[in-house]
Amino acid sequence: MSALRSYGIRSARLAGCLFVLLIVAGCAGKTGRAGFNFDWNVFFQDLSPFSQGLLGAVYVTVVVSVLSQAIGVVLGIFAALGKMAKFLPFRTIANLYIWIFRGTPVLVQLAFGFYGVGAAHLWGWDAITLFGFKITGEIQAGIVILGINEGAYMAEIIRAGILAVDPGQTEAAKSLGMTYGQTMSRIVLPQAARVIIPPLGNEFNNMLKTTSLLFVLGVIETYNHYNIAQGQNFQPFEEFLGCALWYLLMTTIWGFVQARIERRFSRGTELSSGGGAGPRNKGFAERFMALRAPIEQ
Amino acid sequence: MTNVRHDLLGAIGGVPRPDVDVVVDARDVNKYFGRLHVLKDVCLQVRRQETVVIIGPSGSGKTTFIRCVNHLEKIQSGRIFVNGHLIGYRETADRMTLVEDKEKNIALQRQEIGMVFQRFNLFPHMTALENIIEAPIHVRGMAHDQAIGMGRALLERVGLAAKEMVYPNQLSGGQQQRIAIARALAMRPALMLFDEPTSALDPEMIGEVLEVMKELAREGMTMIVVSHEMGFAREVANRVVMMDDGVVVEEGAPEQVFSSPTQERTKAFLSKIL
Repeated sequence: MSALRSYGIRSARLAGCLFVLLIVAGCAGKTGRAGFNFDWNVFFQDLSPFSQGLLGAVYVTVVVSVLSQAIGVVLGIFAALGKMAKFLPFRTIANLYIWIFRGTPVLVQLAFGFYGVGAAHLWGWDAITLFGFKITGEIQAGIVILGINEGAYMAEIIRAGILAVDPGQTEAAKSLGMTYGQTMSRIVLPQAARVIIPPLGNEFNNMLKTTSLLFVLGVIETYNHYNIAQGQNFQPFEEFLGCALWYLLMTTIWGFVQARIERRFSRGTELSSGGGAGPRNKGFAERFMALRAPIEQ
Repeated sequence: MTNVRHDLLGAIGGVPRPDVDVVVDARDVNKYFGRLHVLKDVCLQVRRQETVVIIGPSGSGKTTFIRCVNHLEKIQSGRIFVNGHLIGYRETADRMTLVEDKEKNIALQRQEIGMVFQRFNLFPHMTALENIIEAPIHVRGMAHDQAIGMGRALLERVGLAAKEMVYPNQLSGGQQQRIAIARALAMRPALMLFDEPTSALDPEMIGEVLEVMKELAREGMTMIVVSHEMGFAREVANRVVMMDDGVVVEEGAPEQVFSSPTQERTKAFLSKIL
């Protein structure tokens, strides 16, 4: 209940902010210098989901984000386990991977991985057809490189999650005859997930926005869609404002999804079985007070 | 009290047979934590259907010893056999040195050895029943329906049939420990290790856990119990082993160890806790 209410409050607040933003934009139209007039027609026309090519571009953003994040999580699990392995070469490989991909800009990785690797004839990034969809080389490169980059960040998040699980859990699993793989997949990772999922949500929020960099590969995703439009009509204020609102919409929807997932994964951590106010469903004020309480005593 | 136990065993036709029936055979086990020598040439034999209680002051190595029995701890020298299998290691061709066994083989050996921990270590993301059927399904490959049937029977046996859908954090310590015992039994182990199973419990919950353990002993389970519960040791143990400073100081029937200990260190320890 309290969770639902807080969603309500949050969306109301959000709608309010957007309204203010539009008013400001409107005012800019009236008082702007050098004869700038905010063009409501163009703004709404190009904000509309029915405007030519927009939904396709948003679709590209979402699909690339989901696939890249999925690759990132899988690579992150391997890199985290590699970093914690007893076998030195595994540790070295994992550390090297994390070092390189966290130490260089993702923009450079994209350019190098697509143009550089392509020019060196190491990998051609040819278009492929999967389930009847043609996937261009640019999009493949984008998904793979963003995924590899993300894996380096996920590794640390997943490692922290695994370390947060009581070592007694591993011992109990071992004592029942479970192998390392079973212990990890059945006992440790499901418990680590509770710790991993909030920062994973942040990472995916970032990923939705980072995909805008794919415009350097010529992929027409949300940002590039609006970039092309403003290049044609010379109205960057209207176009990029619309672009920002679309990203805001995507990250906001993700926020709701994330909250749902977090509740799902807090299984077995709430004290009452009635599914009531678990620690995760408390509002900010309540949590803040809970944090403060021991200090006041 | 041991007489009573033998009568019960006789009634169910489980009188211990002679020495061929050695389940645990630990020979000259040495264990170091860094420079600290925590187990010094420890030898211990446990026969089938025997209950051995290990007592001794904290830091004496009793917990470390039973953790070595299912290879949760490595040993530096000596041999531990369970049902005739060398635990955790392979011998080199010259039989002089030990090489740690493959992880898969160790996992296989552990299936035969149940362990109950001081802090329960139930899986918090699974219900009581899921905790119990997890290993039978995923380790033994038991059919789901069959596992559930067995899990319910075990819950019944530890007196928690009504709690099958409950998560561990909604259970009391005593209930959690009883589920943990049921979870270990679900693998049908040949040997049960109890690592201070009542030390983390509130006093009023100790009884219910000991009751389940007594029942198990009566049914003829082979058990090694590290415990400070002298009443339990007196009543249930076939043998009491006194450890101090990594050494087995004394062992014998409970009445002998408790009433007329031969070693000074045993006397000193007992006088402190009794």
